[in-house]
Amino acid sequence: MKKPKAAVILFPGTNCEEETARSCISVGMDADILRWNTKEDLSSYDGFVLPGGWSYEDRVRAGAVASKDRIMETIKKEAKGGKPVLGICNGAQILIETGIVPGIKNDIQMALAKNINPLISGYYCTWVNIKNNPSNCIFTKSLGKGEIIPIPIAHGEGRFTTKEEGLLEQLIKNSQVVFKYCDEKGETIDKFPINPNGSINNIAGLCNPEGNVLAMMPHPERCCWNRQLPGFERKSFQEMNDPGPGRKLFQAMKEYIEGR
Amino acid sequence: MQNPVDPEQIVHISKMGDEELLKFMKENGISLKISEARLISNKLGRDPTLTELYIFNSEWSEHCSYKSSKNLLKMLPTTGPNVIQGPEEDAGIIHLTTIDGERYGVILAHESHNHPSQVVPYEGAATGIGGIVRDVICMGGRIIASADPLRFGDPKGKFANRTKYIANAVVDGISGYTNPIGVPNLGGDAYFNSSFDDNCLVNVVSIGLVKEKDIIHSRAPENAEGFDVIIVGKGTDNSGFGGASFASLVLDEEDEESNKGAVQVPDPFLKNVLIRATEAAFREAKKQGIEVGFKDMGAAGIMCSTSEIAADGGFGVKLDLDKVHTTMEIPSFIIMCAETQERFTWVVPPNFTPTILKIYNEDFELPNVAEGARASVIGKVTKEKQYIIKHKGKVVCNAPIDEVTSGIVYDRPYKEPKRNFKEPNLPEPDYNEMVLKVLNHPNVASKIPIYKHYDTEVQGLAVIRPGEADAGLMNPIENHAVGVALATDSNPKYGRLDPYWGAGMAVAEAMRNVAAIGAVPSGLTDCLCYGNPEKPEVFWQFVEGVRGVADAAKNIWLKGTEDPVPVVSGNVSFYNENAFGKAVDPSAIINCVGVIEDVGKAITMKIKSEGSGLYLIGERKDELGGSVYYEVNGELGANVPKVDFEKERAMIYTVIDAIDKGLVLSCHDISDGGLVTAIAEMILGGEADGKIGAEINLKSELRADKAFFSESSGFVLELDEKDVKEVENICKEHGVELVKIGETKGESLVVKGLVDLPIEKLKQSWTSGVKEALR
Repeated sequence: MKKPKAAVILFPGTNCEEETARSCISVGMDADILRWNTKEDLSSYDGFVLPGGWSYEDRVRAGAVASKDRIMETIKKEAKGGKPVLGICNGAQILIETGIVPGIKNDIQMALAKNINPLISGYYCTWVNIKNNPSNCIFTKSLGKGEIIPIPIAHGEGRFTTKEEGLLEQLIKNSQVVFKYCDEKGETIDKFPINPNGSINNIAGLCNPEGNVLAMMPHPERCCWNRQLPGFERKSFQEMNDPGPGRKLFQAMKEYIEGR
Repeated sequence: MQNPVDPEQIVHISKMGDEELLKFMKENGISLKISEARLISNKLGRDPTLTELYIFNSEWSEHCSYKSSKNLLKMLPTTGPNVIQGPEEDAGIIHLTTIDGERYGVILAHESHNHPSQVVPYEGAATGIGGIVRDVICMGGRIIASADPLRFGDPKGKFANRTKYIANAVVDGISGYTNPIGVPNLGGDAYFNSSFDDNCLVNVVSIGLVKEKDIIHSRAPENAEGFDVIIVGKGTDNSGFGGASFASLVLDEEDEESNKGAVQVPDPFLKNVLIRATEAAFREAKKQGIEVGFKDMGAAGIMCSTSEIAADGGFGVKLDLDKVHTTMEIPSFIIMCAETQERFTWVVPPNFTPTILKIYNEDFELPNVAEGARASVIGKVTKEKQYIIKHKGKVVCNAPIDEVTSGIVYDRPYKEPKRNFKEPNLPEPDYNEMVLKVLNHPNVASKIPIYKHYDTEVQGLAVIRPGEADAGLMNPIENHAVGVALATDSNPKYGRLDPYWGAGMAVAEAMRNVAAIGAVPSGLTDCLCYGNPEKPEVFWQFVEGVRGVADAAKNIWLKGTEDPVPVVSGNVSFYNENAFGKAVDPSAIINCVGVIEDVGKAITMKIKSEGSGLYLIGERKDELGGSVYYEVNGELGANVPKVDFEKERAMIYTVIDAIDKGLVLSCHDISDGGLVTAIAEMILGGEADGKIGAEINLKSELRADKAFFSESSGFVLELDEKDVKEVENICKEHGVELVKIGETKGESLVVKGLVDLPIEKLKQSWTSGVKEALR
């Protein structure tokens, strides 16, 4: 079988492209880092990852300028055709700004607003727990039902919110809420620091109705190896180099591509 | 002579009297001394043009020439078996490991951005980071971490509001720059005291990774005659004009507005793209086997960068300033010396020039990323060793290039000032209250409110993060176990009491920090921050500081050798004083990089299990001068902690060996706040979420308060009782005494009859100190 090939998109200001590509490669995919102005034929790629960073300097709003970039037109088209698209952190902000997620209407329906955080205003970097919420998302098929994973966040604008009445209910009904912030036991308590940014319904990740496009604020590529986990305890390098919980999302992406 | 300078540009200083010359220089913002200005005419054999005058003004500034410090810095040990690149270039490099015959190096760079951060804190701190990462990348490597030792004024003092504003803006500036460019911040520290009220210290450290064969030098390569000189990055404007000279003067509040103009403007967005484009250019040069020179453009801008890159290769250079991409109409001397950020200089063979231009201008679209940004060919490397600059068809500079770059040197007089320090006579405290007070002091308290602003996770290399242990740790080479540790140190009050021991202790403590996680201290950088070197008493502090750094580095040997731990890069910052002539505490700020063969063997400071033994190495001495305990009692004291180099070395080796053999559960170095603070921090752990307490039974000849709070060198180790015998053997081998001081148990910190504090109370004090200081 042909090795699945992922494109990791580099916008001006992206900064997580290397480790994101490494994470794709770690599950046996090929991964190319493609610049926003690439002349490559994107349709030759099996899936896309929009990594974290600071595309276009967060001008207007985080992700707003990149969402209007020509390359996003193509990615939108490829997503419609069923290819997997994973947006991490700034990548999630771009997906929300294009409206692909939540994608119920063909319009921007949500925003990733400034964090609400009693400890630190602005950019906040820490480790949190998220829970795999029952959904039809293709990226969580390798995770157990209700599985809790430790994962880092690093953003100033990660609070999922909306002004659209009834949207949240619809997202829940459609099983589009993929990840929720929770404590170590899986309780989704809507309080800092469990909910680190004040996101509605503790939402950490949302997908489109079809489940092939995921926008998530936490960084699975930063917990793709055990050695990256905090609360470090002495162990063999072999164990440290073993897959971390974030790897499962990339694994599911690969398996989905292979199953198409 | 070819290319004679335009006679209309000449400033006839030899015809001016001293007074007239001084007036002329002041009006033109030139800070040269009269004797220095006249020396230029001597060296050139004629009076200089205005552009040349500005060039020498920058090159002979303290910041660029190290004129006061150069001779003394020779004391520092800069060579050793693991040195790949000493301090001659923009950054130093030490050997990290060899994999399949491929030698890997760690790049180290360290500097300060003190005056800019005091005047315009956000931009000052951000451009500090911007500059230091340029120093690392221009060695051909990849930036993998940064660190930020910070010194702020007293948050409860006379200038509390300004101090808080500066501290918050500096932290925002650092995070606002490192986060977007994708560099994790994995180390640093923060001290607060009134000596920094009018002059904060903002140090920035950057660490990189490079294969030895990929190192690019900051000089024109061999046979570079006829090579193109290309500048890449932001369009030159007038920002930061005079920055190098500004760094070399005392801050005067009256000049605050004009000083602001000397601070550069950061653009981390452009830098993010510039770094990625530059890495692509490195790959292309390597692929084609092209020899190039590449240099950071920092202090004194195009002038410093182009003259040094050519002169260091043994060449001259000819520039046409009309080819420089600018964003405003500016005179030649500003084009030459402005410190516009986000720029580099390349020297490449003409057949490679189109490739460079394509990468920056088309592939990465610099002109669309930032207005006026691009890559431009601005001149040629010449065999004739002259520095020739044309602007609007006229020659504005034609000087021997070695005269431009060689700088000047002073042997400054120095004198030990009369000082009189006294030890206080304190009554024995209420120990519960005192432990909490010390933990709450911002110099001790958790720095979470600072470092949670920083991205520690980007690049995915972090193994131990800020707060989790005495040093940060990365695993930078994929599928290979080797780790790079880093830690910064310098206690300003020790420097105040004794600049020699302050500096020596900073080196020792930075090494202890690295050793406490199990890494071998392998390379040092220093940033020496002092007042006005023209004052003999201040210069004495500097001389003592350099001596202290040198002695510690030479005597705490690189493990496995009798060679020093080399000082491979560094920086000197003078004139850190206020308008009334009060200098900052003498601060030799040290960064230590450690190497650990297997990151899996590293340990953190948090107590791991109940029922293990707590052991002390390092005798408690009556050395509380400059301690936090004295400070919370309103005292300074006199007995500064001293480093017994031989014992220090033995302790460091003991800890490294014991950790390497897997015998230590957790370890913490004893520093600010002393032994009892170290144990409280081990209970809490970096995230302040520890659950296991400790019961201590300390026998000491000192009164309990002195034994608890003395900041003498030492370590606390958590050991499984079954491993104690073996650790004792290691101790014996190195001649170190291992003393049991307690065990891990319960949910409180207990010292029989003196202290009984539940973890929750420790946490409350320790986590609120810095938050309150910044609010």
